[in-house]
Amino acid sequence: MSAPGIVVAGLRKRYGPTLALDGMSFSVRPGLVTGFLGPNGAGKSTTMRVILGLDAVEEGTALIDGRPYRSLRHPLTHVGSLLDAAALHPGRSGRNHLLWLAHSQGLAARRVDQVIEEVGLASAARRKAGGYSLGMRQRLGIAAALLGDPPIIMLDEPFNGMDPDGIIWMRGFLRSLAAQGRAVLVSSHLMSEVQDTADHLVVVGRGKAIADAGVAELIAAASGNRVALRTTAGAHAMKVLARAGATVAATGRDTIAVSGLPADRIVTVLNESAVPFSEVSAHRATLEDVYLDLTREAVEFRAATPTEVRR
Amino acid sequence: MRVALHAEWTKIRTVPSPLWLLVGTVAATVALSAGATSVVNCTASGCGGDTTKLSLMGVYIGQALVAILAVLIVSGEYGSGMIRTTLAAVPRRAIAFAAKAITLTGVVAVGGTVAVLGSVLAGRLVLPDLGDQALSLTNGPAMRAVVGTVLYLILIALLSLGIATAMRDSATSIGIVLGLLYIVPILVQTISDPYWQRLLQKIAPMSAGLAVQATTDLHSLPISPWAGLGVTAAWAIAALSVGGLLLRMRDA
Ligand SMILES: Nc1ncnc2c1ncn2[C@@H]1O[C@H](COP(=O)(O)OP(=O)(O)OP(=O)(O)O)[C@@H](O)[C@H]1O
Ligand SMILES: [Mg+2]
Repeated sequence: MSAPGIVVAGLRKRYGPTLALDGMSFSVRPGLVTGFLGPNGAGKSTTMRVILGLDAVEEGTALIDGRPYRSLRHPLTHVGSLLDAAALHPGRSGRNHLLWLAHSQGLAARRVDQVIEEVGLASAARRKAGGYSLGMRQRLGIAAALLGDPPIIMLDEPFNGMDPDGIIWMRGFLRSLAAQGRAVLVSSHLMSEVQDTADHLVVVGRGKAIADAGVAELIAAASGNRVALRTTAGAHAMKVLARAGATVAATGRDTIAVSGLPADRIVTVLNESAVPFSEVSAHRATLEDVYLDLTREAVEFRAATPTEVRR
Repeated sequence: MRVALHAEWTKIRTVPSPLWLLVGTVAATVALSAGATSVVNCTASGCGGDTTKLSLMGVYIGQALVAILAVLIVSGEYGSGMIRTTLAAVPRRAIAFAAKAITLTGVVAVGGTVAVLGSVLAGRLVLPDLGDQALSLTNGPAMRAVVGTVLYLILIALLSLGIATAMRDSATSIGIVLGLLYIVPILVQTISDPYWQRLLQKIAPMSAGLAVQATTDLHSLPISPWAGLGVTAAWAIAALSVGGLLLRMRDA
């Protein structure tokens, strides 16, 4: 058998003048939560629609356990997905929504009641879905994704509309799905939503993956051998360090980021030139920094101020 | 296919609107038919005119409700975005589409039969016994009219399903279907040339299809009863083909 999980390779997709996908490639492996991150319009939802065989691409392939989605028999037993929690008939109860989906896969009503319990929707299941809050709709969508007990789960922005309790529940839930050996792909445009949950990150911008690595790996790469220096004699320090071969940048009123020199060399250089300093420490990037760095170029609809992007 | 059909059946029976539209179809059809028959003047020798056709007159209204029911089955899903859930569950689109068409056919067959038999019954109650034999179902042409009218309603439903799948939007689709059904008969009134009048009546889905209700004076019809229903069937097949093809070709 070919690679388990999802393998996306070289997807290209155009909507009129917009190039939505431009060589999107990555894979989603069993047993891991893969965060699918990118700014608005980066192509996350489009990629998921392509994986599900809903939208056709001009180039590239998206395979589920080595097979195209459209060739799967009872596809919901291979991939469970949630694209849009609002995509419901408002007059149908949550339970009946799950029931028709179950019937479409040859599953019995008993399975419907199981997943309703699992997502904590039992008390509302027989009410019309039109009256559900966004958080309840998300839970119903998750229940639908779980219905076929699939080895692959794909959720588009599942944290949207969830209250803090719901977010905590969702994080634990995603972890437990991966712990059961499932491949889990979760999109978000906020690093903060996935950083404590994901094992692996695929960061996308302008229709392609710009980073595809483990969380620890990404942090290490971005931290580099950067050293944070605190000094009141900033200008002088930057001059001597640059002369010693370091790359320097002021990061605050009295802080400087230094790279290209190890910390002990930096201390020696500063002492030799009698530059006063109060702190030298290895700089550790946060995932948020990594993400903002990676996507700075790719943000299509930049908010008025960077802090707003950061939320 | 079996599971796709099961899913569509579960969908249609778990929301209230299809049932209400069917009940409305029956009520409107029977009411208009009864109204139409109550204004005939019968004498001891007969009622004059085509009483079978008259007592099935209610489908003029009933078909509109059937068309709305059919349109909402697909365009409702496009409106909410649920069509993507449907096509993710049943990714082979020909099967997904066929499941909808078959379910709709079954539902309209039942509703249409009730509506048509109700109309016949109303006609018999309204018309004096001795007046007319035309409403007996043992009478060949009357039987053909009754069965043909049920088939006509099914064809109108399938025509509407095809159009709605192509157009996706409820309002646009309902507008097109009702236009196709009702504008042509109005247009015919404004045309003075009898050749063009008859041609239009031969090719329009409603006037051609309802020729199947005629039981008297068959030579003066613009098109024979079964051929007329065939024209409506051709419309339905054309709409289903276009809708089905677009469903397969386009992004969901
Ligand atoms: N059906 C469509 N028709 C036209 N353009 C589309 C369509 N779907 C997506 N696009 C365009 O494709 C690009 C990618 O959109 P997509 O929805 O995949 O982004 P996203 O990463 O999911 O963004 P968000 O975080 O806002 O959900 C955008 O420029 C979008 O406007
Ligand atoms: Mg999106």
